Amino acid sequence: MATLQEPAAPASDRSYWGNVWHAVKSTAVGMGITFRYLWTKPFTTQYPDERLPVDGRYRGIHYLEQDLCIYCQACAKACPVDCIDMGAQRHGKELEWEFFSIDYQKCMFCELCVYPCPKDCIHMGEQYSLVTEDKSDFLLELTSWQGLTEEQKLRIAEAEAAKAAKKAAAAKAKAAKEAAEAAAEPAEPEEGKE
Amino acid sequence: MANSTKDPALRAGERLVELDVRTQDVEINMGPQHPATHGVLRVLLRADGEILTGAQSHLGYLHRCAEKIGEKVDWLQYLPYTDRYDYLSAMNNNLAYSLAVEKLLGVEAPERAQFIRVILAELNRIASHLVAVGTYGMDIGAFTPFFYALRERELLLDIFEKICGARLTYSYIRPGGLMNDAPAGWLEQVKAFTELFDKKWGEYWDLLVDSKIFVERTANVGVVSEELALAWGCSGPMLRGSGVDWDLRRDAPHLVYDRLDFEVIVGRGYRGTVGDCFDRNYVRMYEMVQSNRMIRQCLEQIEDGEVQHPDVGLLLRPAPGEAYVGIENPRGELGHYLVSDGSKIARRLRVRGPSFCNLAVAEHLLPGCMLADAAAIIGSVDIVIGETDR
Amino acid sequence: MSAALPPAAAAPQGNGLTELLGGLLPDGLPFWALALTGAVVSFAIIFAFIAVLAMFATWLERKVAGHIQVRYGPMRTGAWHGWAQALADGVKLLIKEDLVLTSADKPLFKLAPMVVLSTALAAFVALPFGPNAIVADLDLGIYFIIAISSITTFGVIMAGWGSNNKWSLYGAMREAAQVASYEIPLGLSLMMPVMYFGSLSLNHAGAMQSGWYGMHWYVFSDAFWIAIPSFALFFTAALAETKRAPFDLPESESELVAGFHTEYSGIRFAFFFMEEYAAMYLMSAVGTALWFGAWNFPGLSLLEGTVLHAPLAVAAFVTKSLLLVFVMMWVRWTVPRIRIDQVMALGYKYLTPLCLLMILLAASWEWVKAIAFGA
Ligand code: SF4
Ligand code: SF4
Repeated sequence: MATLQEPAAPASDRSYWGNVWHAVKSTAVGMGITFRYLWTKPFTTQYPDERLPVDGRYRGIHYLEQDLCIYCQACAKACPVDCIDMGAQRHGKELEWEFFSIDYQKCMFCELCVYPCPKDCIHMGEQYSLVTEDKSDFLLELTSWQGLTEEQKLRIAEAEAAKAAKKAAAAKAKAAKEAAEAAAEPAEPEEGKE
Repeated sequence: MANSTKDPALRAGERLVELDVRTQDVEINMGPQHPATHGVLRVLLRADGEILTGAQSHLGYLHRCAEKIGEKVDWLQYLPYTDRYDYLSAMNNNLAYSLAVEKLLGVEAPERAQFIRVILAELNRIASHLVAVGTYGMDIGAFTPFFYALRERELLLDIFEKICGARLTYSYIRPGGLMNDAPAGWLEQVKAFTELFDKKWGEYWDLLVDSKIFVERTANVGVVSEELALAWGCSGPMLRGSGVDWDLRRDAPHLVYDRLDFEVIVGRGYRGTVGDCFDRNYVRMYEMVQSNRMIRQCLEQIEDGEVQHPDVGLLLRPAPGEAYVGIENPRGELGHYLVSDGSKIARRLRVRGPSFCNLAVAEHLLPGCMLADAAAIIGSVDIVIGETDR
Repeated sequence: MSAALPPAAAAPQGNGLTELLGGLLPDGLPFWALALTGAVVSFAIIFAFIAVLAMFATWLERKVAGHIQVRYGPMRTGAWHGWAQALADGVKLLIKEDLVLTSADKPLFKLAPMVVLSTALAAFVALPFGPNAIVADLDLGIYFIIAISSITTFGVIMAGWGSNNKWSLYGAMREAAQVASYEIPLGLSLMMPVMYFGSLSLNHAGAMQSGWYGMHWYVFSDAFWIAIPSFALFFTAALAETKRAPFDLPESESELVAGFHTEYSGIRFAFFFMEEYAAMYLMSAVGTALWFGAWNFPGLSLLEGTVLHAPLAVAAFVTKSLLLVFVMMWVRWTVPRIRIDQVMALGYKYLTPLCLLMILLAASWEWVKAIAFGA
């Protein structure tokens, strides 16, 4: 019989009737255990119909908070298998996203790309079953939009307008200054203008 | 029944093969795809009928250049690769690597991290031994214990999933501490498991280990004598099964193992000769109980605190030097030998894998056994091909 | 089966089926025509029975294995607990490519499954499914069954040799060694009931157990203390004879990949598969007929003479046999597999001497009874 304490003495009775008794007894005990389980509810679940919830920390397929990402490549550099690839154009502060893809043929769900992110914007999600008939489907695109959003366009326009206004104001101020300087020192040559 | 192991020559590991009629031996390829080789091990057997006269194992079908990769990726990036050599005990691999890097860095993880590390390492030892015992049952023809073992392992995987989000390749224990602290409720879940496990453990014993057929198939089979085990560099249950009292958790104290009260289980010929297949399995069975005991003690002693050393960040540049740390993996001594040249990438990385060393002795045991014993002996070594081939 | 049943009033010792056919067919037919028709009809009935039985048993085996192993087993094919799984498997095996290796010994390779299945079919001839529901009521029924079912071994050896695969050959050799040594305890263990009933006819044994309102089974008789251990011995030997775990060495999948049928696929594999379940059922049926009262159950005698009597008797017999088949499955999913030398040791050192001891006891008991009660 099983005890959590180590049995005191080795049990190596190998006499004829000892063998018969041990065989009959241990088989009966074993069959008792299996018979009990025959009637208990199975431990498994019927997978595709019935999915167990995954925990909050589950390391599934990534998701990206694209509006936070600053295209710093830190995650791509941290990845041991170089499976993160991204491309974007910078328009001042705004990013025009081209792609941000992870190759799930290579990715090993190690979460090392998550830690270095300065904006905490790449996470591991809860989705786990990537079933496909075509390997190229494993190259997943994480961006939810490409190019510029209306909002971004608006912000760019705003930023440009602000820049233009600033420039105009600067030019105006300069002109005024120049005019004042010209009034004071007419012989000074023009400088510092781009 | 088969082998007269009372013969001193046999106990020293030598096999006497007596043949009455000279016939031609048959050469059989066991593997690389064979149900009993636990992966892609190929053993070339020479047999005279049911009796084996020679054996040679061929490795390398799963070679993935882990050590070379270690010289190409930076210190932390290598962590996921450690998961993959012995994929049944990835936490222990993470731990072994992290301890080696910490030694290079000259830092020590905070206390809470150390406790959680011990809990994880021991939980993973239980998970790994469950697979070892379960698949061993399968090797000798009992399917059901395997499912019972996997049932409890599933609970363990849930525990791992809760703390790190992965079920097999954890990458959780990292140089300097842990990736993040244990979530709320995790320690309670571990406690519930330890209580449940003590109840379920007896089922494996009664159903499998105590079964007469199991005893007959394993006792006095594949006897590794003490000298043989030491000569071939065995470690872990393979060595302890041969009666050598050697456990790195006790003999090379690391983490908080010196604060825990546990016994080192050694084989003592419970059903036959010291060092037979039964003893190796016996050691695994009782090690699970001891691990469970350690976890319970850790749960009592653990306190709140930091889990990551403040000076160890994501990009590591250890000072030039070298370090070797070996820890007690479920299968034996898993050592990492690291050489740093001060850059962010290891200069040299070398792994001492337990199942690779343990497997070497199997070749020595097979001649003289029966064909069916080949499955029993290879199974009792408990190899993980991912690690023998790396 | 029930279609072939004779009316209960038919002659008790006659060959039920032939008598029935004799009644249906026009008079004046020569004997050979009658015999041929009988053979064809009984073949059809037995084959259909085995096919259905194999399907049901496969499904049952998977369900039993599943639930013992805390999982469900097949659940998808068919609406209720995957009942159509075996059907789907059967169809799959039928339409699979019939693969014969170029290196195989083709005649042997092709013949082996047929030999295996036909011997299993032949043995069913002597099984009493109910009073007189027997294809051929042989006086030597038990002997016939034991003799013919060991011919299966030839098929297995042919398969192992013909496959030209070392693993298959190992399986075949193991089968040869195992069956040859387990014939002895199997035959000896049957001697105890034979001595009790005083007949080698299974039908007679069934009729002898109908007393006590259908509960005068051998295991409940005055010799129950012989019956129970002898059944244990018979059952162990039967497991070995039918290559079931823990004696599944000829196909032990963790050692020999799949043993003698490694190279078989499609319908030829299905034949081996059917044979396995047919043999299991056969041994269980022999066990039922000799130890567990054959078709008798309490209350059956009350229905004597009604239409219900025969169908219920057959149902009782099949149910009891299937219960023993279930026990075989239950054993299989509990115990590990033993090694070939241990199989031999168990056969020769344990089962055979114990059987002989039981025979001695049984014979003494008959003698004591004869002296005491003058029977
Ligand atoms: S999870 Fe790991 S492998 Fe996958 S993208 Fe992130 S760093 Fe790369
Ligand atoms: S590290 Fe974070 S912010 Fe930087 S590119 Fe990756 S996701 Fe974007």
